[in-house]
This record gives sequence, structure tokens and C-alpha cells, in this order.
Amino acid sequence: MEMKTRLVDKVNIIDISGRLDANTVAPVAAWLEQMTTKPGCRVLVNLSETIFVDSTGLATLVQGMKRSQQHQGEIYLCGMRRSVYMTFELTRLDKAFTIFADEEHALKAFAK
Amino acid sequence: MTVTQPEQVRLDLPARYTYLHLLSDCIADMLRLLEQMQDAEMVIYNIQLAVHEACTNIVRHAYENKGEGRILITLTLSFDPPQLTIELQDTGKPFDAESYAPPDLDDVPIGGMGIFLIRNLMDDVTYTPSPGRNHWNLTKSLLVKGI
Repeated sequence: MEMKTRLVDKVNIIDISGRLDANTVAPVAAWLEQMTTKPGCRVLVNLSETIFVDSTGLATLVQGMKRSQQHQGEIYLCGMRRSVYMTFELTRLDKAFTIFADEEHALKAFAK
Repeated sequence: MTVTQPEQVRLDLPARYTYLHLLSDCIADMLRLLEQMQDAEMVIYNIQLAVHEACTNIVRHAYENKGEGRILITLTLSFDPPQLTIELQDTGKPFDAESYAPPDLDDVPIGGMGIFLIRNLMDDVTYTPSPGRNHWNLTKSLLVKGI
């Protein structure tokens, strides 16, 4: 797994490539904790290069979402592959998260 | 190459998260032997995820993520009828099936998704404890185009 972070239009973006699972999740969890505890945080998780997400990866994203809500922030997801999206559907997390097809659409939503 | 006899792969892995990604490649390579499988990409991913979750549970709960113990994995691909069976054995703490409660999906749960995913992604999941050893058996029937 590789993660890269960047700031675009006051949105903190994390690009995750490879597998987001129990073996790789720690640096992503640490970054999300740092970002989502800031009041009014705006975080975008770009999963377009993420090939696998397990329940530990899901739990980390859910924790980030709940934490951002506590701090009046927002966390969006974008770019999911069909197989990864299926897991979100199965666990009904597709209803809990705000999910966009790609980064462009997600950034437009943040700008509104 | 056309394979018709059951194909079997045995792995003996240290019970650490580090090695679990090896299973994904193994499952994908085995299932590619089955020509014309319906919705192959999704089926392969679902089985990879279910087996990964089962092994993650063994590392985390049976062995309490201490870096000790091993997982014995036997993958058997049968062709008539087409199905993949995955047997997992460990010598860690037994799984407490009676205290397991499925996650409340309406409440956006943080944990407890592993067993839920395994049971929903596979056709048949059995757990059999025996003295000093735990056995998991996961089975998925595979559909072939045109049949």
C-alpha cells in the first residue's frame, strides 16, 4: 500500500494505492485521526487506485467519518472500483458515506 | 492447458497479517483455471475477501495477534461441479460462536464486519473446534457461462 496526501482547495486529500487492509491500515488511520479531529475538517479519500479493502479498512474509514462528524467536518470518498464498492453496498456503508465517482465531482461538492 | 482433475494448493503460513496477501494471488491463479466463469472479477474478489477475513480473524482472535502460531490453508478447486473449498486450521483460541452477534448495519458499526462478510460472500461456512485445533471450511459454488 502507498499513500500520498495533498491539499487542494482547502480539502485534505489522501490517495491510497494497493491494499487497504489489516496489514497496511496503520498510516492511513493515523493520518485520518490527525485530519478529522480538526474542527470543520474537509477530507477526501481517493480510492481510485485501491484494489482491496477489508473490514479493518472499512472500520478505519467509519471511525474517520464518525470523528469528522463530532468535529463538524466532512469526509467524502471517491473513485471506488466496482469490487470495492460492492463491499460498501453489502455492509450498507454506501448509505452512510458520501461517495463520488471521481475526485472532480467530490471537490465540486466540497466547494458548494 | 485444460485442467479437469481437482486442483489443490496447501499453504502453511505464519499467523501474521504480513503474509495474508499471498492468498489473494493464489485464489486468483486457481480460479483462472476455470474457463468461462461467470462474473469472474467479482467472484474472485469476493472469495479473496472472505478468505482474507477468515485468516485475519484467526490472527487477531485465535492467536491474539502475538506473532505466533501458524495457519494451515488447503484450497481445492473442483470442476464437476465447479466449486472452490478453502479449509483453514489453527491451534489458537476457539471461536466463541455463541457470543457472536451480527453487526447492526443500520447503526454504521465500526467493528464485527469480518464474520458478516465471510458468511455473506461464501455459500457455506462451517466452524468445527476439536481439542487443540480449530477448523474453518468455506465453500463457494462457481457458475460457468453457458451452463
